[in-house]
This record gives sequence, structure tokens and C-alpha cells, in this order.
Amino acid sequence: MVSVKPAGRAGDIRLAYALLSPALLLLAVVIAYPVGWEVWTSLTDLSPLKDGSTGFVGLANYRRLLADATFWQAALVTVVYAAVTSAGKLALGLGFALLLARPFRGRALVFLAIFLPWAYPAGVSVIGWYWTLNPPTITAYAPFMGQLKYAVDGTFGIGAWAFASVMLFNIWRGSSFIAVLLLAGINAIPQELFECALLESRSAWRRFRLVTVPLLKPFLALGVFLSLTSAFADLSNVWMLTAGRIVFPVIGTHAYWLVIKAGQYGPASALSLTLVPFLLAVLLVLFRLFDPPQERSTA
Amino acid sequence: MAQVMMKDLNKKYDEVHAVKDVNLHIRDKEFIVLVGPSGCGKSTTLRMVAGLEEITAGEITIGDRVVNDLPPKDRDIAMVFQNYALYPHMTVYDNMAFGLKMRKFPKTEIAKRVGEAAEILGIQELLKRKPRQLSGGQRQRVAVGRAIVRHPQVFLFDEPLSNLDAKLRVQMRVELKRLHDRLETTAIYVTHDQVEAMTLGDRVVVMKDGWIQQVGEPLELYGRPANRFVAGFIGSPSMNFVEMTIAETNGALWADTPGIRVKVPPASAARLGPYKGQRLTLGIRPEDLRVATGSDPADYSFDTVVDVVEPLGSEILLDVKAGSNVMVARVDPTVRAKLHDKMRLSLHPERVHFFDLKTELAI
Repeated sequence: MVSVKPAGRAGDIRLAYALLSPALLLLAVVIAYPVGWEVWTSLTDLSPLKDGSTGFVGLANYRRLLADATFWQAALVTVVYAAVTSAGKLALGLGFALLLARPFRGRALVFLAIFLPWAYPAGVSVIGWYWTLNPPTITAYAPFMGQLKYAVDGTFGIGAWAFASVMLFNIWRGSSFIAVLLLAGINAIPQELFECALLESRSAWRRFRLVTVPLLKPFLALGVFLSLTSAFADLSNVWMLTAGRIVFPVIGTHAYWLVIKAGQYGPASALSLTLVPFLLAVLLVLFRLFDPPQERSTA
Repeated sequence: MAQVMMKDLNKKYDEVHAVKDVNLHIRDKEFIVLVGPSGCGKSTTLRMVAGLEEITAGEITIGDRVVNDLPPKDRDIAMVFQNYALYPHMTVYDNMAFGLKMRKFPKTEIAKRVGEAAEILGIQELLKRKPRQLSGGQRQRVAVGRAIVRHPQVFLFDEPLSNLDAKLRVQMRVELKRLHDRLETTAIYVTHDQVEAMTLGDRVVVMKDGWIQQVGEPLELYGRPANRFVAGFIGSPSMNFVEMTIAETNGALWADTPGIRVKVPPASAARLGPYKGQRLTLGIRPEDLRVATGSDPADYSFDTVVDVVEPLGSEILLDVKAGSNVMVARVDPTVRAKLHDKMRLSLHPERVHFFDLKTELAI
């Protein structure tokens, strides 16, 4: 054995920091600075519409937010949006992944069909969806879509149809990604583990529940995490699909509206930062699922 | 307790004919080993018995039931996989209980059977651990335990020791043998390792390219290989093969090639009659060669030059050349041999094998 000299070790440590520095610099520029700026802004009354110097207002922006009914409505809508789309994406994605896990004739075509929504640029897909749901010209089904929209809006309130279409789009596109993620997960599980279950039970449901789901748990947790976080922070899908005519704002669109349309930098920063505790909690819970501590301890 | 019959068993994939006309009668309580190089069809045959592969043609009977169309679960078999196939999210106990749980056995019965199996395998202390916390040997024991608790009619082993290191493999081999003596359950064991096959099997089935080459007791395969492939596959180091011409001199048959000229032993002479003037393959195992002494008959001796010396402690392997023929001799550790030494070797006349050059069948 060669013993490492102290001097050599100090050199190693310096080298390690040198190698890490580009990544640290990148993180500082694209994460630390913007987030720090946002936190600071949320404590001020910064606005391009206001004359004079920017004042420190403490937690006033947060206090006003908590007293604002619009915030609570946006928060509720955000939670519903995230929960419904995540459930939908997971259910569909898991179904697709299980379908694709076994070889069959035409599997490559089915794979392509399932993966296409994710591979296709979101901006173009959104316009496609918008025109499909709101045909801009006379089509065979245009009157039906009009009736459907009025029926949904009539039952659940104005904007419900737009909200539903946003969720549908999110599920359509996201389930594609979740399917590929879970398929990779299934393929990473040794075939013998499924075969062993096949020797013991005829019931596909029992094998799915007792073997497939537990083995896929890390991938399912990762899928839920990615799906929830992207839904919580979603702005672009909602904005584009409703062309900005948002009747059911989510936190992301509400904050965007506050900044761009109303110039209220402080309240908007505070609003978007309210997502952080949510996301942290979700991350902590799910992290334990996809990397359980007792399985990390021994290799 | 059951016999297993395979009748005209075939497996074809799109392009590959993996198993060809396999006929095999495995007796009740027998430990049978399927052995052969990779791609010989041994694992596919086992998986057809398990029900993990569909049977293209032919019939498999377990006990008195034809199982071709029975789902794996109803075949009353238990399988041990090469990679253990333990569920990482379950404890050792739950892994062993898995099959019984899937079959909805009562909890008390599960506990009793897992307890018994754990005791047999000496893994009582590990029951609460997860597979990740076990060594390779311990994992393999758990995998065997999971099969034992099922009290199946037939055990199926698919290369169960291949992932273990050499020392552990020897140890587990002995344990498996002991276990079979104790449980007296029919077992089909697949391996590519001829030592495992010879030491474990009541009978050994040698396969190649989907065909059964020979079925027999270990010493029968070793002593009377049916063809050149079996002769070369069983035994380590492999049997030496030399292409020779059979010729008659003074009423006796001699096998001749540049560098080696030996008399055909009387026991083989009658069978070799039709080969007079023709070429064939002579086979001699390394352990049936020895350094010639003055008392050895000259008819069975020939001169060689030492090419490589491999001292193993209990024996020495000498790679030698006789003319352009390369051979290995397993000699006594007291033999002093150096590179390029001239050495006269003598072969054991009753242990010489002859194979047809074209059919490769033993003569």
C-alpha cells in the first residue's frame, strides 16, 4: 500500500475544487443569483411603474398575499392541476410502459406513437391542440366542440373548458415522457424477477401489485416528482393554450401576469416563492422513495 | 416426487432451432445435470420444463401429467435462477415466503416452512435482512430456500453457482449435493461447468447445438464417451486428440503419424479392422500419459519435447510436442522437467479412445 502524503492530499483537495469550479460558477450564475435576487425583490416594492427609489417592505408582500382571495384560488387551482395531471400521466404512462415492455408485432410503431407527443416541440403541439379544440374554420366537428365548450362552461363556470383542455394537453404530452421513463425502469429490472413471479401466480394483477409496482417504485417516485414539479411551476402550457385569457389562473400564470401586465415585481416574486415549500416537501417525501436510506447503507 | 419425461422435444425461434428432438426420461428422485457450452439448448430445455418457454413440438410430462399447456404455476416445480432473482424490496423471510404467499398459504404454514428451510440452510439469522445486505453465497442459499419451502415435485436449477467465486462454488456444490440426498426430490440442473456436472449428477446429459450428445453416469461419460465432443468436454485438462493412420505391420495394427507410432491395443484391434489404411482420431487423456520407464513396453511409448511446464503442486501438467502434435500430460509432481527437455512418454493401452474422422463417433 502507498500511503498518501499530507502534501499530496492537500494538492488533491485543491485540484478537486479546481475541477468543481466551473460547475459551481454555473450554479451561481443560473441558480444562486436569480433566486437570491428574487428573494430580495419579494421583500421590496420594486416596480418599473413606480417613481422614486425602491423601498424595503419586509414581509408586507407575503402578508398581502395570504389575505388575498385570488392567491388562494390560484393555489387551489394549482394543486388540482398538479394532482389531476400527475395522476393522469402516471396511469397512462404506466399503461403504455407495460404495453411496450413485451415484444409484439408493430411494437416500434406503437413506441413511436407514444413517444411522439414528448418529442414534438411543445409550442407547435399547443397550437395544434388549440385548433383541434377550437376549430378556426368550419369542420365536421366544429359545432360539436362549440356545444361541448358551452356545456362544460355552463356546468362548471366560464373557463372550465379551457382549464380542462390545458389538463388534457399536459396529460397527453406528459404521459409520453412518463411512459418512456417507466419503460426504462422496467427494462432495468432483471427479467428473472418477473419470471420468478410467473412461476408462482397466474394472476397478472397479483404479480403487478406484489412485484412490478414495488420494483418500479423508485421510477414511479421519480415520475411523480417530475410530473408534480413541472405542473406546479407550469406557466407556458397554460398561457399558450388559453392565449392568455386565463379564467382559472395557476400560481405560475398569476405571477407572470403580475409582473408583465401589472409591473408588480415584489408581490410577483413573493407569489412564485410560495411554491418553494411545496416543492421541497414533495422532494423530501419522494426522495426517500427513490433512494431509501436502508438500502443505501450497505452495498 | 416425480419422474419427468421429455418426448421428441423441440424449440424453434424465428431463425434458430435451439432444441432438437430431445428425448429424456428423468427418474423419480434423480439428480440430472444438463451440461454443454453456451447456446447448446440446455437452459431452453429447462425453461420449457418450467413453462417459461413455449414448446414448439414434443411433449413434457411431470409425474403423470402432460404439462405442455399448463401454466408454470400449476406444474409443481420450483426454480433457482443464476442471478438469484431475489426481490430487493423484500426481507429474506418475505423472499422465501413469496411463492407460498402468492399461492395464499395460511400464515402459520408459511412461517413453519420458512423456519424449516432456514434451519436446513443455516440462514436463520438472516431472515430479517434485505438481499443487498447478504454475500453472494448467502443470497444463493436464500434462493434455494425459496425453492425448498414450496415442497415441489421437481427442482429446476439454472446455473445457480455461476455467479459465485471459485471457492464458494465448491462449497455450495457440496451443500447442494447434501441437500438433494436429504430432500430426495427430482432435480434438473443446468450448468456449463463439467466439474459441477460430474460431481452433482446421478446422470449427466451432454448437449451441443440443441442435440443430446450422450446421457450417462459421470464415470460412464468419462470412461466411454460416445463421441469426440463428449470426450473433449468431460475431463480437465481436455483429452488429447491426434489424427493418425491405421496400418498393419506383421499382423498387428499400428496407429501412425509423424512423431508418434503406437500399437493399437488388442482390445480395440477388432473394431479398428475396417479402418486399415485410413485416418482416424486417437484420443488419450492427460492422466493416461506418463513418463516412460525401462519396463514400459516400447509399443506404447513415443518421444516428445517439453514445451511448457505447469506445476500445480499435486501434479504437473506438461505441454509436450511429438513431431508437430501438441499434447498435455498430467504427471507425478516428482518428475523433474525443464523447457525443451526430451521426454519419452508412454500411454495407458486400455485407455486409448478412437474416433471416426467424419462422424466423430467413438469406434
